Amino acid sequence: MSTFFSDWYYLSIRNTKQIWRPVMALIPSMFIPIFFFVVNSQSFSKVSAIPGFPHVSYKEFIAPVAIFTAIFFSAGNAGIELVQDIASGYFKKLLVMPINRLAIILGKLTEVAVQSVLQGGIVLVLLFAVGVPFKTGFFGVIAMFSMLILFAMAWSCIGMIAALRTQNARLVQSMFVLVFPFLYLTTSQMPREMLPDTFRIFATYNPVTSIVEGVRALVLDGWGNPAIWQGFLVAGILFVVMVALTLGSFKSALK
Amino acid sequence: MIIEVKDLVKTYPGGVEAVRGVTFDVKEGEFFGFLGPNGAGKTTTMNMLVNLVKKTSGSITVDGFDLAKQPAEIYKRVGFAMQEIGLDETATAREMLQLHGRLYHLSTQRIDEQISKLLKLVELEKVADRFASTYSGGMRRRLDLALSLIHEPRILFLDEPTQGLDPHARQLIWNHLRDLNKRGMTVFLTTHFMDEAETLCERIAIMDKGQIVTRGTVPELLKEHGAKTLEEVFLKTTGSNIGEEEVNANASDPYVRGRG
Repeated sequence: MSTFFSDWYYLSIRNTKQIWRPVMALIPSMFIPIFFFVVNSQSFSKVSAIPGFPHVSYKEFIAPVAIFTAIFFSAGNAGIELVQDIASGYFKKLLVMPINRLAIILGKLTEVAVQSVLQGGIVLVLLFAVGVPFKTGFFGVIAMFSMLILFAMAWSCIGMIAALRTQNARLVQSMFVLVFPFLYLTTSQMPREMLPDTFRIFATYNPVTSIVEGVRALVLDGWGNPAIWQGFLVAGILFVVMVALTLGSFKSALK
Repeated sequence: MIIEVKDLVKTYPGGVEAVRGVTFDVKEGEFFGFLGPNGAGKTTTMNMLVNLVKKTSGSITVDGFDLAKQPAEIYKRVGFAMQEIGLDETATAREMLQLHGRLYHLSTQRIDEQISKLLKLVELEKVADRFASTYSGGMRRRLDLALSLIHEPRILFLDEPTQGLDPHARQLIWNHLRDLNKRGMTVFLTTHFMDEAETLCERIAIMDKGQIVTRGTVPELLKEHGAKTLEEVFLKTTGSNIGEEEVNANASDPYVRGRG
């Protein structure tokens, strides 16, 4: 194993252990998506009767969003953990070791991927339990997690960039609020055709819309929907761009 | 010479000159002390020696490698215990030592040998499987020291290693450091404890306001400055102004820099 892959592997193991240390830290990012799913699917159940709404129940329509939200919320932890490492001085220890800096980033992103599968998986099981179908079957589940993991890793880079550039824990934690505009100015709650004009424009240019619609297509439609490939394309581009920006931000950590 | 520093300068954005043309060298196997008041530029200099802070100008050679060209070669040869004890609070001492051994690409057998040797050395054998967050200040310092030694570095950089420790813990750390130095390890120590420098260091450089103001062995310094103690030498050569110290000490703080 080359030293790069070895560094990546061992840093990933170290970071992944942080997911459940302490276990209680997992609860908020699990609670929020389930809470919104239960409340919204009940409160807005009659929305599906409005003319123009797709031929699915509102519960089914927002089910993919519940998985997506679980991953969205947990992806912010990477930046918080990184700023904690910076504040404690542990990050400096890593910087004076003969480690490839890309391995440090990828080690964090692997943690994000593992956490995404764990949390998204739990929400998926709950959705199956309440009768939400999955049109693309087992391979669709694999495809959905692949797309969501790519996106979660890209999203987690925002927190890491903030951590590296500002080294300020309060600012990194406050990046959490970005979830709301990026998640709600999409088609997560309503189909595109039923959004007000201004929101529709935001949703069209919001890259998160492509991911939401890609996941929704996998859950509700089937492989023929082009939203799936568009979702993969957007998630892939975001991943490459954000990892490159994070790598560039390492310079800021060295004043 | 195992460390050679020539005309080293660090000017932070905003114009704060933390280090102003420092030149010195450290012999192989030497216990070298870097003294100075808070904000003198000691930590900035040390951080530049391990590439944690980018130099503005000057040259640094460590164990024959130019830091600007081959930093990775230098990382393999140095251990660094910082002023801020950098531990992973969510890991145990054993886990951290194992990870560091892996990241220095040691074999499994060597990691195991080093872990048992180092845990014994820093007297943390009984608590090796407890989380670092449960450790006292002294235990955290000792673990930090063990982490910096996992790969048996040729040069050990120590930035205020006994800050905040009780006399017993300080004595324990001093004994470890003497022992490591006797075994041939070069030690570069920054401190503002005169007794620490006097007890441990073969040669000392005193820094003030970003410059080295004097250097030599303790007897040489006492003779040169007509002093009876190292503290007297320190006060004669630095005579620092508290206000200036505080600004310099925060030179890397973006808020202070922003005020210009």
